[in-house]
Amino acid sequence: MTNIFLQLLINGIIAGAIYALVASGFSLIYSTNKFVHFAHGGVIVFSAYFLFWLFAKLGLNFYLSAVLTILFSSLLGYALNKIFYKPLRAKKSSSSILLVASIAILILLESLALLFFGADVKIINFIKNSQGLELFGAIITPLQIIIVLVSALLFFILFVFMEKSKIGKAMRAVADNKDLAEISGVSSEKIYNWSFIIGSAIAGCAAILIALEQNITPTMGTNLMIKGFTGAIIGGIGIVPGAILGSFLLGIIENFGIWFLPSAYKDAIAFILLFIFLLFRPQGILGIKNNPK
Amino acid sequence: MIDAYFIHLLILIGIYLILAISLQLSLGYSGLLNLGHIAFFGIGAYVSAILSLHGVSFLLSVLIAGLMSGLFGWLLSIPTNKLKGDYLAVTTLGFSFVAYAIFQNWTEVTRGSFGLPGIPRPNIFGVDFSENTSFLILVIIFVLISYFFIRRICNSQFGKVLEATRDDELAAKSLGKNTLKLKSISLAVSAFFAGVAGSLFASYITFIDPSSFTFLNLIPVLLIVIIGGLASLRGTILATIIIILLPEPLRFIGLPSSILGPARQIIFALMLILIIYFKPRGFFGRVDLE
Repeated sequence: MTNIFLQLLINGIIAGAIYALVASGFSLIYSTNKFVHFAHGGVIVFSAYFLFWLFAKLGLNFYLSAVLTILFSSLLGYALNKIFYKPLRAKKSSSSILLVASIAILILLESLALLFFGADVKIINFIKNSQGLELFGAIITPLQIIIVLVSALLFFILFVFMEKSKIGKAMRAVADNKDLAEISGVSSEKIYNWSFIIGSAIAGCAAILIALEQNITPTMGTNLMIKGFTGAIIGGIGIVPGAILGSFLLGIIENFGIWFLPSAYKDAIAFILLFIFLLFRPQGILGIKNNPK
Repeated sequence: MIDAYFIHLLILIGIYLILAISLQLSLGYSGLLNLGHIAFFGIGAYVSAILSLHGVSFLLSVLIAGLMSGLFGWLLSIPTNKLKGDYLAVTTLGFSFVAYAIFQNWTEVTRGSFGLPGIPRPNIFGVDFSENTSFLILVIIFVLISYFFIRRICNSQFGKVLEATRDDELAAKSLGKNTLKLKSISLAVSAFFAGVAGSLFASYITFIDPSSFTFLNLIPVLLIVIIGGLASLRGTILATIIIILLPEPLRFIGLPSSILGPARQIIFALMLILIIYFKPRGFFGRVDLE
């Protein structure tokens, strides 16, 4: 006897955990940089392929591959900021220009992945998708439990980092008011770099967990970004805890939507939710109402 | 052989030209960072394909397809009207994802990824346009109508108010202009012409499937508008010709199609990055992307 309600809730939490991993890094970068870094999805795709290359092609130990993947993703995020965004910022480009640049970078990364690795799906067979465990009449696989636990742990570390560390505090200061932060001696360029490094490291963690749970395809980054962005908008885009909350909410609502709609319309549910929030609460759940852009 | 290839390229240039100048209306003249344009193109293609497969005449299918796209443009404008810049961009982008999901999953109507084959070539009042040469003439007529119509709008009083709204919405409002309504009309008209372009595309290729209407297909159109320059129609014409012809030499150096596709995307992406860095106003752009 399966409990449908509980099953959908569990599926929603798992989906939400993955969206939240995407959204938290993205939202961290948005909070300080104030533009939509769409290429964040490209960083996830590239990191997932990097993990595949290390683990499945070179045959490295999985844990070593995972650590290298996180290093790689932070480096990639840092490099993208240095090579593309910093020169544009120096020219006082608007946030729309930076957004268009980030879309171009996303396409660039996805196309490079397609060129190097081909269009066929890649699978990382580290944790076998074994028999699910039964929990009060709902099925959950060990891998899914790992995803939820690891992401919860990651969010906790991120929270402590943002609250207690010097860099975290400086990041919040820049996010709040860049000019005031600079007057008190915080270099905003340095903080932009740190946001990209830390946000992209989270993207690397997301890539590892997604690669374990799903197939890797070159175009998955765009889809993940749409979901991550929706989650971030729902919770409050520049607020990392808000983005995490919104993502879980999105995952849960999407999965409960299957009760009414065919599962292929999950994307449509996410979009309707996005519209509702943009119409009635554009600043998101945790956002403070100032000027909705 | 060369002639046939040349005509094919001209037809593509014509279809992309309609698509690009219609995007110019919403992006360039109205300042709406509309990344959902490819969805309107797709809606037009599907509506006209389904109608003509059911025996509806070509002109009527094109008209209905355009109106349907326009309707969706208007509907999309309602919740997004007050949004600006990146919010608008991502919402319209999200819209194109939903459109794609519907093309892919509403299989009773669209046949999903199998696509719709056998879309008839146009036949208008007994005149047959199934040959590529005659189809080209038809496309040229459509391009001229669309171009002059959109140019007329842009140069009219309405177009001036649109540009005023783009440059300073508050000022336009304070002069008593209903800027929200203006933006809705602009997006609807822009979507109408994208739908017309989609109809031409469907009847030219005679086969459509969802893969022609993804986010990736938006990139060349966006690139055309930015390279040509925002709010410049002649720039758009020049840019369309360049962008359609540019990747063609790749075809002749004998690259396999698995490399050709990504290579084209990489070229477009790099060009987009280079243009916004070195010449953000494109050839003849009059305003910056805000």
